[in-house]
Amino acid sequence: MAAVAGRTYPAVRFEIEPEAVTAFAAAIGADPAEGVPPTFAAVYSLGVTAPQLFGDDEAAVDFGKLLHAEQEFEWQRHPRVGETVVSRGRVASDMSRRGMRFVSFETATTDVQGAPLCTSRALFVIRS
Amino acid sequence: MVTFTKDQIAAYAEASGDRNPIHLDDDFARSVGLPGVIAHGMLQMGILATVASEAAGGSDRLRRISVRFAGMVAPGDTVTFRAAPAGEGKLDLTAVNQKGEAVLTKSRAEFVA
Repeated sequence: MAAVAGRTYPAVRFEIEPEAVTAFAAAIGADPAEGVPPTFAAVYSLGVTAPQLFGDDEAAVDFGKLLHAEQEFEWQRHPRVGETVVSRGRVASDMSRRGMRFVSFETATTDVQGAPLCTSRALFVIRS
Repeated sequence: MVTFTKDQIAAYAEASGDRNPIHLDDDFARSVGLPGVIAHGMLQMGILATVASEAAGGSDRLRRISVRFAGMVAPGDTVTFRAAPAGEGKLDLTAVNQKGEAVLTKSRAEFVA
């Protein structure tokens, strides 16, 4: 298997539509009137960039053997409903130990001017 | 306290775009060694973040949240989500199922006043 630490993926733009926010808030028991729920970052940050990693033949991540082990989100500012955000994914580290592969995947999300909004850090464990 | 249902898991799959069949299709889930469909870890984290946001005085005050996905949650499981103050601007978070098992561990949040 190829270790792909340091690999970066092209920026992805995503518009935070009101209907999507309302449906997401309802699913997690949040009040949609409070704006974009913090973990909607699972969609606008992690959700738009992780498929780039999973679809990368050279990264060779076997989705069927993948466990999402840890997740962290950090915000400088929460995006607004209707705002367009830009996310860039990067493989922060990629290590194998005792037959398990540990891929740390970091996504930096900014507003359209480039000001930071959110950083997502996901740890994926891939069983061999 | 939240008792998970297939409908809620399906609603999260739709709302999040994560339509992995382990969350939606019992037969598929069993074919990969699971007891049946399971809830998304990110659904658990989303509910925990909602509880953390209330404790922080509003979701816009949340600055950081981290979790480790430690246990599976299936439809019918009841999980108690809690946020406890842990010093200035910090919360210790827990998510424990009806058997007393932590389903999320190493869970913390930070917020601004």
